[in-house]
Amino acid sequence: MIATAERHDILAWFTSTDHKRIGILYMGTSLLFLLVAGLLAMLIRTQLARPDATLLGPEAYNAVFTLHGTAMIFLVIAPFGFGLANYLIPLQIGAPDMAFPRLNATSFWVFLFGGLTVFAGAAANDGGAAAGWTAYAPLSEITISAGIGQDMWIIGVAMVSVASIAAAVNFVTTAFVLRAPGMTMWRMPIFTWEMIATSLLVFMAFPSLTATLLLLFVDRHFGGHAFDPTYGGSPILYQHLFWFFGHPEVYVMILPYFGVISEVIATFSGRPIFGYTGMVLSAFAIAGLSMGVWAHHMFTTGAVNDPFFSFVSFLIAVPTGIKFFNWIATMWGGSIRYTTAMWYALGFLMNFLLGGVTGVMVASPPVDFQARDSYFLVAHFHYTLGGGSFFALFAAIFYWWPKVYGWFLDERLGKIGFALTFFGFNLTFLPMFFMGIFGMSRRVFTYPNTGALPELNLIASCGAALILAGAAVFVANVIVSARRRVPAGDNPWHGYTLEWATTSPPPEHNFPQLPPIRSFRPLWNVEHPEAPQTP
Amino acid sequence: MHGPSWPAVSSTQAVALAQDWLIFTCAALSLAVLVWVLIIVAAIRFRRTDRNPEARSQRANNAPLEIVWTILPLLIVVGLFAYTYHIEAALEALAADAPVQLNVNGFRWGWTFAYAGGPTITGTSLHPPQMVLPAGRTAAITVTSSDVIHSFWVPDMLFKRDAVPGRATTFDLTPTTPGTYLGRCGEFCGLNHALMTFSVRVVSPAEYQRWRAYEATQ
Repeated sequence: MIATAERHDILAWFTSTDHKRIGILYMGTSLLFLLVAGLLAMLIRTQLARPDATLLGPEAYNAVFTLHGTAMIFLVIAPFGFGLANYLIPLQIGAPDMAFPRLNATSFWVFLFGGLTVFAGAAANDGGAAAGWTAYAPLSEITISAGIGQDMWIIGVAMVSVASIAAAVNFVTTAFVLRAPGMTMWRMPIFTWEMIATSLLVFMAFPSLTATLLLLFVDRHFGGHAFDPTYGGSPILYQHLFWFFGHPEVYVMILPYFGVISEVIATFSGRPIFGYTGMVLSAFAIAGLSMGVWAHHMFTTGAVNDPFFSFVSFLIAVPTGIKFFNWIATMWGGSIRYTTAMWYALGFLMNFLLGGVTGVMVASPPVDFQARDSYFLVAHFHYTLGGGSFFALFAAIFYWWPKVYGWFLDERLGKIGFALTFFGFNLTFLPMFFMGIFGMSRRVFTYPNTGALPELNLIASCGAALILAGAAVFVANVIVSARRRVPAGDNPWHGYTLEWATTSPPPEHNFPQLPPIRSFRPLWNVEHPEAPQTP
Repeated sequence: MHGPSWPAVSSTQAVALAQDWLIFTCAALSLAVLVWVLIIVAAIRFRRTDRNPEARSQRANNAPLEIVWTILPLLIVVGLFAYTYHIEAALEALAADAPVQLNVNGFRWGWTFAYAGGPTITGTSLHPPQMVLPAGRTAAITVTSSDVIHSFWVPDMLFKRDAVPGRATTFDLTPTTPGTYLGRCGEFCGLNHALMTFSVRVVSPAEYQRWRAYEATQ
């Protein structure tokens, strides 16, 4: 590592290869994308508040939900996890930086411009991409979606995909080779473990996405006919290739947040994470199984072996269950401090559980025949990614903010924001299960004015307004707290993993000196020299 | 016409499908409630108070317990799979000689219903087509598409099947209750996806024969 004087001007943010700066850039960028994608969701809920609303015509509506889904999945949930990993992995394992700092900077900038390309495509004069985040062929073929917006979507998402692979290489290499003396694999914090499992999924899944996008681009412009049945191509092939990426991607969006929840619950319960080995093994079990379930997205095509994909999907409930029981057992016998981060973690447990059990439901093909592409499915995956990943994302923000900036976010505003978000979220998405059962398709700009659909949609839209209020409180919290700058100190929450052993914020190469590492809670050993080595 | 309401369960297949829904809803909700209760009990009982100022245990594993909460869920999902396999196998077994046979073709944005040896009915989102089926008789419905992927979905029958260009798949539908049921496209297909509806009118077999005879004269 070449020691260079740290730059403090604005240019430093563009030239830095410091993992902490790149982590902040990743997280900050994905939060800005979140703001836009969230406002797009508000447009959707406004349009659907009434059955006959005319805020958005079908053309605009299709572009809006396409951009909402694309941004949330490719530009917000996964990249925020990558940003967190960038910031935390070297700190958690006692390393001075990532293994490949320049590759790391490259990943971020390619990701950023990929995201900007997707958004710029929405401004194309013949309309942005409007084929959904799945961009199923033939709908996304040039004969149907002729606009340049669809091409920019393909190019932008492909850039994000390549950037993700590079980032994953970095995470795994860092965790494998840059651990401090004494930091064995089995002493790494759970978050770092979850990021290794996530990275392995990225290696296996994202090349399939890149290939699919490339094939689609060749189809559109060079007569590839890969997905065109009139020339022997197959729309079913597109779905196989896409979901071979798409289902592991679901776990790329949740495993990092399982890691967050494990850290937050352990710290605020004042206990070690329960079942450390089980937590690690279940992460890899989930990752492995998730590679074999892709065609449960295709039950209604009548073209796949339903029982196989159904069974493997059911099996994922087992390692996920292990995680839930371990989290509860971590709280059990603890002395739980209800900080904002802990409230968000609790919200995660409550919400994600409903996302999980409804996931088992739709893994049963006979249930899926009704639920697929209905609002039941919309409710299910928002409970996992919204009620799950996003609640963990905010737990992470409140938990690690004092480490990153050296001062606290306001706890009172934090809890108000949590309450608004939690009630708003459930008010928005609980009714959607019923809309789906009653026959409301997803991706519709209007719906029939019959039965309970208008009432259910109105309730959902009111819930969305509460979420918006929660988001506003969070923004206010950042502004108010930034003015006060209540100093946090090195270890404000009494955490026992290595990132709490250095200053807040950490110096350029992280650790002036490291404590001895004798367990997965090195700081606990420092505090309790008399106790046995393993907790 | 039935609008979107609680599904009316109006076909033989839908009875089995509804049973699967019921079993899975009960299983999912009872497991969720059990775990919710555990979470809430832990969250309240072990909150920091003056009487609970510090974690009372630093114990971090318990092998027998961990084995139990691995094996039990495994048994539950294996049981659920066996059940769902049984239901689906019955559902997918097609009748050898269905008395009604028709081809469904989805297109942007409408449907064509072509009865074997009978009428062909076409309608678009502006004038949605109506499929007529005899109650108590099995219809073999073959679905395909002429442009992008659509999906033939009748919510009251709890079933949809994708209409994929270049590919035809067949499923059996045996409606039981006369009435008119709303159907819609269940796979996003572009601009007028939301308006791509149709209806299924289930009538007595005698009335169905009269309808076929009348259509033949048109």
